[in-house]
Amino acid sequence: MEEHSIVESVLDNLPVAVFAKDATNDFRFVLWNKKQEEVTTIRAEKALGKNDYHLFSQESADYFRSVDKAVIKRGSLMKVPEEIIETKNGREVHLRTVKIPVHDKETGRLLVVGISEDITEQVKSREQLERLNRHLVEANQELQQTQMQLIQAEKLESIGRLAAGVAHEVKNPLALLLLGVDYLSQGIAPDDPNVEKILQQMRDAVERADRIVRGLVDFSSQRSLSREPTQLSRVVEEVLLLVKHELTRSNTKVNVRMEKDLPHVFLDMSKFEQVLINLIINAVHAMSEVETKLIKIRARSESLEEVVKNQGARKREVFRSGDRVVILEISDNGHGIAPADANRLFDPFFTTKATGVGTGLGLSVARRIVELHGGELTLENRTKEPGAVARLILPTKLETAKVHTVTGRVKTEGKPKEIDSPPSDLTS
Amino acid sequence: MARKILLVDDEAGFTELLKMNLERSGAFEVRIENDSTKAVAAARDFMPDAILLDVVMPGMDGGDVQAQLQASPQLSGIPVLMLTALVDSTELSEGAVAQAGSQMVLPKPVNLPLLLRVLDEIVPAA
Repeated sequence: MEEHSIVESVLDNLPVAVFAKDATNDFRFVLWNKKQEEVTTIRAEKALGKNDYHLFSQESADYFRSVDKAVIKRGSLMKVPEEIIETKNGREVHLRTVKIPVHDKETGRLLVVGISEDITEQVKSREQLERLNRHLVEANQELQQTQMQLIQAEKLESIGRLAAGVAHEVKNPLALLLLGVDYLSQGIAPDDPNVEKILQQMRDAVERADRIVRGLVDFSSQRSLSREPTQLSRVVEEVLLLVKHELTRSNTKVNVRMEKDLPHVFLDMSKFEQVLINLIINAVHAMSEVETKLIKIRARSESLEEVVKNQGARKREVFRSGDRVVILEISDNGHGIAPADANRLFDPFFTTKATGVGTGLGLSVARRIVELHGGELTLENRTKEPGAVARLILPTKLETAKVHTVTGRVKTEGKPKEIDSPPSDLTS
Repeated sequence: MARKILLVDDEAGFTELLKMNLERSGAFEVRIENDSTKAVAAARDFMPDAILLDVVMPGMDGGDVQAQLQASPQLSGIPVLMLTALVDSTELSEGAVAQAGSQMVLPKPVNLPLLLRVLDEIVPAA
């Protein structure tokens, strides 16, 4: 008698819900402790002698019964990582339950003993965390989208800047075409040696105009970043065509030297052209006071160790040691970078140009684009000569994209995990 | 006698076709200079009746060439006709056309009948 009341008071003071059902008597409850009363909001005197079908919804009862039967059939402990019961007042309680088959030697009854932990609070905070995580992912996506829009906005600005020059470059072949038409429309002598030359010139002019217009259209296209193996020399060539007019107008000479057989780099042509146009126009502006304006474009391939040793790569973790990289340098002989500006060059909206000349987005967007390519962009004064040098370090391999994933919640309800452990351990 | 025209423009194709068109009638003798830095020397050597001068050129732009021509007593009397593919008026003033005092500016693409009329006006046929 005394033993029994000790067990009862221990059970009632446990922080977990404990119940037992008699499998030999329609799974009617024979044990229902205090915590079980609390969790289910059903008092023991109402529950004892009843089964799940008396106390819970058909659906829940079916589920509980199926697990109970599985426990009996297996004859071993089963864990239910998460199950939900709905209380009378409509509250959902999340439980983590262990069910154990117990053979009561005294009475010969087969019991299913359940121990449930109320994990409602844990589940709630987990869900809260998931919600926050989802918001974070959404915010991050929105940020990336905004960044792409910013890149596009900056590009439109460059297009505006280039438009006049590009129009000029198109007008020249048009002028040539018109002269050809003028000549040919005045009647041609059969032996006129000029005709063949004129037709060839006209053909070249059409191709030239076509090339520059197509270049501008390609450049202005808005797409998500799509990188393809690209020859850097081709990009440089296209860009020089687009800025040709700016270079001629400012009387800037360009000297290009690129290593032969440079490895391919993975570029989004249109976005990368944006970077180079930006750097070249910046260089032109920086040389406005200089008599002999010269832009040098150099490209070479190095292994990462050499880069770190030679250049002190800004962010070494971007590359893996031993990686082959391509280094592109664009240098000018202009006024260089004032020490006070050095740390702010890549800040958005920082500009040393007059209001209306630049928005101050160019370099920050350029750096972002290069980073999206897995590379890095630095800008510093040249060491031996006056002027500045923009240095791009680009990977020659397509690195694994950094993907932010959300860990999805694995629904475990209704799928109890089976744990192999003999019932004797717990029943003795 | 054919009127002598010096054509200064870095676009070789354009100058070649303009020369063919102008020389076709036999009314003009055209000399081409594609390097603007040599334009003044070419003018001194060729002593043209008129100069057709592009505005945007590498090395030395049309405005600079015009200024040097003006500064030379020997060459300052030669009428200069500016040709330009520039598209907006602000660029035109940047090209120092007005400042250099060119008599006339023609847009590119060149309207050939108009060019011939202008040339007849500034360099009347003998």
